Amino acid sequence: MVYRNIKLVDFNLDDRRYRFTMNPADRRLLRSVKEVGVLQPVVIVSRHSRPVLVDGWRRVEAALTCGLEELPALEVATTNDDLAVFLLAFFGNYGQRTFSLAEKSLAVRKFYEFRLQAVDLIERILPLLELPPERRMLDLMLEVSVLEKRFLEIMHRRDWKPVTAELWLDFSPAERTWLYPLLERLTHNQQREVIENFHSLQKKIGRSLAELAREGELAGLIDRLLKGESGAADCLLTAIRQANSPLLSRINKAIGEEIKRLNLRGVTLDYDRSLEKPTLCLTLEAGELKELRQTVKSLSGSLGSGGWHRLFELLHYEGE
Amino acid sequence: MVELKIKKVWLDRRVAGTAPTRLLLEKLEGRPVEIVETAETVRRAIRLAPDPVGESKKHLFVTEQKSFIRPCPCSPGCVGCGYWTIDLDLNCPFDCSYCILQKYLDCQPLTVAVNLEQLRAELDEFFSRRPAGIMRVGTGELADSLALDELTGHSYFLVESCRRRDGFLLELKSKSGLPRALLQIKPAGNVILSWSLNPPQVIKGEEKGTACLEERLQAAAEAVRHGYRVGFHFDPILHYPGWRQDYERVVESIFRRIPVDAVVWISLGSLRFPPDLMPLARRRFPDSRIYEHEFIRSGEGKYRYPRPLRLRLYGELAGMFSEYGAGDRLYLCMESVEVWREFTEKIKRGRRNSAFPFPWQC
Repeated sequence: MVYRNIKLVDFNLDDRRYRFTMNPADRRLLRSVKEVGVLQPVVIVSRHSRPVLVDGWRRVEAALTCGLEELPALEVATTNDDLAVFLLAFFGNYGQRTFSLAEKSLAVRKFYEFRLQAVDLIERILPLLELPPERRMLDLMLEVSVLEKRFLEIMHRRDWKPVTAELWLDFSPAERTWLYPLLERLTHNQQREVIENFHSLQKKIGRSLAELAREGELAGLIDRLLKGESGAADCLLTAIRQANSPLLSRINKAIGEEIKRLNLRGVTLDYDRSLEKPTLCLTLEAGELKELRQTVKSLSGSLGSGGWHRLFELLHYEGE
Repeated sequence: MVELKIKKVWLDRRVAGTAPTRLLLEKLEGRPVEIVETAETVRRAIRLAPDPVGESKKHLFVTEQKSFIRPCPCSPGCVGCGYWTIDLDLNCPFDCSYCILQKYLDCQPLTVAVNLEQLRAELDEFFSRRPAGIMRVGTGELADSLALDELTGHSYFLVESCRRRDGFLLELKSKSGLPRALLQIKPAGNVILSWSLNPPQVIKGEEKGTACLEERLQAAAEAVRHGYRVGFHFDPILHYPGWRQDYERVVESIFRRIPVDAVVWISLGSLRFPPDLMPLARRRFPDSRIYEHEFIRSGEGKYRYPRPLRLRLYGELAGMFSEYGAGDRLYLCMESVEVWREFTEKIKRGRRNSAFPFPWQC
């Protein structure tokens, strides 16, 4: 490789054939470049007589923002083919940080387009990307890599896992477009849950997402979320979870109402919401002996009411 | 019998020249054969296929096992049934949508062990333990006990090895028909042939390549006529609209053909699976609806139907079996103490009895 300074205007930045990373130049890098310029040379290769960037996209972006005119660069010999050059781009970043799923998919796509054999991609590259070395994973990555840029960005920002991406690909393009504004307002975990739950719900009831979203409670919650109302995301998640889990939701609701009706003072009732353990956990709270006596007395007094019986019946409920 | 779709035979170099391997190869004439050092070479070929699980069922690997017998691990937090497994074959030519082996075996080809002398020695040692109660041992955990039997003849070997071993019950569990070999020998009192059962439409939709219900029940009836005792496994029981009537018909069909006295045990277990099986199975079986259901994540991390529903399934099936006097042959597979307790309380009509031994050990 040859070291030289290169003018930014000489770059063909439209040629992004080696780019698979997605992080933009952040404030810290901008500040650094502004103070002392770009210290670490970018990597370039000449294609059609113009330098094409191989590695250093963030540095170039920062240099442009800071108004620099030239950069230090390491130039790779033109005789190297695209695959050899891309290997430099890949390993130049590989040791720096973990790639997001979107970046992994783009890297796989580049290797594929630069004609790395499928068997090498599966056996050598996928394990490097901490992905299972299977044909199916290669196919999934190739599918993900051609998703719309905005979808890739959301996958990148929220660090999706392959299983979420796979469900995402199962939605139709129209459904993805419908879901996108919702996802933008959710955290990583919320995105995963919304996708899983919508996917499951849609399969269960055999209706499209658009139809589901027009239904009473969901429609209202989606509207609130899109308006940016705080807490709307959690409410929407609860509603989809309940729709996906009608039996437990119904029993839990009935148990909650029964506990409320018991109106116990100084006693907290808890139980396993999954109903795997059909037991109640009672916690007594008292600051002094007198208070404890009163709490126990009131608790004992309440045992005669039908509420407790109904509560245990609900905990031991058998049915569909 | 099972139509095997083996497209290549791989021989572990350690067993390539042995007599049992030669016998196997005679039955697989015409298939390409390759000698390899380890199973990893085979797994590598399987991994490159678009559907590695499906592909794994088309490759036969002939090898030797280091050890065969181990206690069934059950599932953490569940009540075990004291079962021991013999890992004689690994993987299964059948392709069930709910099968946990899809995830568990990780591209393992259909694997057949031919070092049966070692197994015989292990069995001798195992039998020398002389338990106080009854010990059950079987080959059906990581494979179907009978699916490859026309090829391997393992059932004959196992029956003869276990014959007259008091205190031990050998179970050969299957979703296939009955191998001829088992009808050509004298039945052994401590060998139980058992079949996993489900309603016909479940078998058709979810248990690809297996024998239909009619064939399984015919096989069981034939086994009983020959003098074997039999067992049945309703595992996984699936919940769907109309499940009750469908399972009731299966139970009726059993006792139309098989006297209740010939049935040693019946296990009940509902659909359960680790979370990472779901995306794989959904992809492999796009028409299956079994994963589109309400599940909870249980203590051991598996998805299961909610407890109220599991109890309903078990309770209804227990009722059906009780009508034929088979209520005391039932046990639950991989269920929590809580479910066992509520289930046994019900079938014992109010008497609380969640503990072991099983009825047949009493």
